[in-house]
Amino acid sequence: MLKGWKLKEIVLMSLFGVVFGIVYLLFLHIGNLWAGVIGPLAYEWMFGIWFIVSIISMYIIRKPGAALLPETLAAAIEVMLGNAIGPRLILSGIIQGLGAEAAFALTRYRHFQLAILMLAGAGAGIFSFIYGYFLSGYAALEPSFVALMFTLRVLSGAIIAGIGGKYIADSLLATGSLRGYAIAKAEKSDARA
Amino acid sequence: MLEPIFQVDDFSFRFPDLLEPTLRHITLTINPTERLVITGPSGCGKSTLLYVLNRLYPHNCDGEVSGAVRIFGRLAQDYDSGEVNRKIATVFQDPDSQFCMPTVEEELAFTLENLQVPRQEMPQRIDRILHLTGLEDLRHGVIQSFSGGMKQRIATACALIMEPECLLLDEPLAHLDPLTAKEFISWLNHLQQKSGIAVVAVEHKLELWGSFFEREIALSENGTIRKDQLFTERDAPILPDRTSAIREKVLFEASGVCVSYASKSILRNIDLQLQSGEVTVIAGPNGSGKSTLLKALCGILKIDAGTITGMRVGFVPQSPEQLFLSKSVEGELAFSGNSSAEKLRHLMTALDLRTIAQAHPFSVSHGQKRRVAIGAMLADERQVLLLDEPTAGQDLKALTELYRQIESRAQDGCALVVVTHDMNFASSIADKVHLMKDGILSGPYQPEELFSNSALLAEYRLHMPKKGDLYAPAFA
Amino acid sequence: MRRLLHEMNPSMKFLAVTACILILAFFFNPWTPLLFFTGVVLLQLLLSQTNWKLWSLAMLPFLIGAFGYFWTTLVFGQSGDSPVLWTIGTIDITVQQWELAWSLSLRVLAFSSISLLFAFTTDPVHFIQSLMQQWKLSPKLAFSVLISYQFLPVLQKEFVQLQQAHRIRGTGSRSSTFKRLTESRRLLIPLLAGAVRKAERAAFAMEARAFTGEARTHYREITLAPKDFVLFALFSLVLTISCSAIFWT
Repeated sequence: MLKGWKLKEIVLMSLFGVVFGIVYLLFLHIGNLWAGVIGPLAYEWMFGIWFIVSIISMYIIRKPGAALLPETLAAAIEVMLGNAIGPRLILSGIIQGLGAEAAFALTRYRHFQLAILMLAGAGAGIFSFIYGYFLSGYAALEPSFVALMFTLRVLSGAIIAGIGGKYIADSLLATGSLRGYAIAKAEKSDARA
Repeated sequence: MLEPIFQVDDFSFRFPDLLEPTLRHITLTINPTERLVITGPSGCGKSTLLYVLNRLYPHNCDGEVSGAVRIFGRLAQDYDSGEVNRKIATVFQDPDSQFCMPTVEEELAFTLENLQVPRQEMPQRIDRILHLTGLEDLRHGVIQSFSGGMKQRIATACALIMEPECLLLDEPLAHLDPLTAKEFISWLNHLQQKSGIAVVAVEHKLELWGSFFEREIALSENGTIRKDQLFTERDAPILPDRTSAIREKVLFEASGVCVSYASKSILRNIDLQLQSGEVTVIAGPNGSGKSTLLKALCGILKIDAGTITGMRVGFVPQSPEQLFLSKSVEGELAFSGNSSAEKLRHLMTALDLRTIAQAHPFSVSHGQKRRVAIGAMLADERQVLLLDEPTAGQDLKALTELYRQIESRAQDGCALVVVTHDMNFASSIADKVHLMKDGILSGPYQPEELFSNSALLAEYRLHMPKKGDLYAPAFA
Repeated sequence: MRRLLHEMNPSMKFLAVTACILILAFFFNPWTPLLFFTGVVLLQLLLSQTNWKLWSLAMLPFLIGAFGYFWTTLVFGQSGDSPVLWTIGTIDITVQQWELAWSLSLRVLAFSSISLLFAFTTDPVHFIQSLMQQWKLSPKLAFSVLISYQFLPVLQKEFVQLQQAHRIRGTGSRSSTFKRLTESRRLLIPLLAGAVRKAERAAFAMEARAFTGEARTHYREITLAPKDFVLFALFSLVLTISCSAIFWT
């Protein structure tokens, strides 16, 4: 999968994985406390936060795997930091990453407009919901409640991960530190056209 | 006659996002055991040249090249990436980002693993290099817990364990204080004599190197070789003395300030008085509490005891961009909302920021960032300015600009505090000097009094400034 | 004895932990996760040197999460046709809901216990080295992750400095937790911008040390020994006993 990647892109992607692993962990704890009061529904509207690194990394690096790998890594980092849900989280990371990756693969890694990024966020939401449906036993809950959870999660993926991810990557581009990555080159050729 | 390490022939290099080439028509030969320094103004492409020699460029930046670079007689593009680096080792400037393993031993082993050294041979080679570099005691130490100077030695050991024929150094002293830097150089000198490898460095702080180098390649602003000559020992650049702008009015006073952290006392009983137009230098060894002091004075850190009175205090960190919150230089100055539009216009002009008003504050040069930071503080009505290590890693041009900036702010009636290790800079800019050690601030000293007292300077790990002709070429 | 879990091959341990979790997911009775939780804690008590104070602290958020699952399942879980156990206000709680609530919340505890076992007994560096040696993880990826991991303390330092610097701009006020949280979004971009530059420098430093990502030798060989299979069997035993709960309840 890493053929054709520069080492600096792999390191950048890993670093995103690490940084967002920490961000994810922070929100996991916030979500946990929250869920203790409101129940699992509390997680749903903020689920997009946990998909965001896929969108940011792919939008910047634009190579196959750039969504799946950092999401997996972020999950692995949450595990290594020693106080997360553990290896199970790596699996959810892989599945969420695959969801986002699928959307980019559908467009053959050629388009990175907002709509595609939102689609990727929603894709991560759909994949993670199917996984969660089996693992957390949603099957045992009222179907209407499950439908509400599903809608909230997909919307959250599209809005928080899709729009939020683009916003973060664009802000980062403006600081000038992304020179030499695909996103900067694309911006230049857009400016020329 | 030994085969040359590098043969560069009419080589030019352009970054894809720039219109002009960074290097033009470079032709040079570097032989084994040579000690060579590449010099030139910042932005002249000297680091780029070094990255061409170790083959990181053009591959990593998609640069456009013409001409030929031969390494050990073979064209650079015929090597695989990483292949040539077992013979050409590099130490970079940032001590924080060149390691990937937790301990020194593991980091050394990482290098050997890259070379596919059989496992049985590794312990001996690690022993040998630790012995050669005198780092035996650090073997199981955690790299990220060491000081910058130590990290640079570890990075050098990691480079030398490959048994390379050439060591490239990319401004290895940029993050070290002068005394640590000098210790590093004499250590390196010793190593070079023992191992006999070629050393090629990019450097602007030549005065620290004494007579280490034999040859100098000076690049000019447009990326051509200006001179290829024998290296001559340099004195520190000399800045002019300034006429003091001190006024009677006291702007700021701290007395009996104490700060402790995790029940450890960091600042003890600090007294400090600052007058309008006064430039105060604070110096002392790393870890003595200087940065903590600045943060306590400007209210970032809570003080446990003592009083602070006077005008509002502004703070410019070593990396000024840490302050930035807006998307444009203009927005950065306007952020506090404490200044009228007219005052902002005036500040933008006074700090020479008009031409970059719309630029993103993160994307401008280091000197410009500092001016933006100072502007933001002044626009927030903070007339007392604390500058943390503004001289670190700055070349002569940048130092000159910093000097002028401090001078004009003092003339405007601000009170400035500059934390620095650079005693040459201190001796020409300071109205008074305080020294700091173990959380205790001594002084104030008159600059003349202090800089003739070598025992006192040594006690605080500072070097004696060199005073030469008053007006150096940079100021002519 | 007390070092066994720490010395277990990390890839093997990871495999065991993942397998347990995947299989447990198919069991909906309350006894299976309860037994499993007990078994895992017992294993960790006997075969590791764990700082139990730290462990309890790490367990706390999951305990709270489990409580959330418990009462929402009571209220929102499928009632089925089973008899009503209690009525609280207008809400009827059936036997089925009662059992489901126990099962789902105990499942959270079971999952967290095995995950914490892994986290508390595994050195991340060894884990990655093991993945490289046993599972042929790409060295490029493995070392990129290791280097990023080394950046954590550096980034933390930078985070604190940014926070302090922003305080002087009048943001990041210490007024309330919520306000501090919303203010911390301003730190993300500067922190990432610095991290991006560091990533590039780190990649250069690796390449300059002749790192090619190709075949390599290993200074620390992480081996697969018979004791790893014995420990794996031990995990399987705990799992089997827990799962057999469906036959006798």
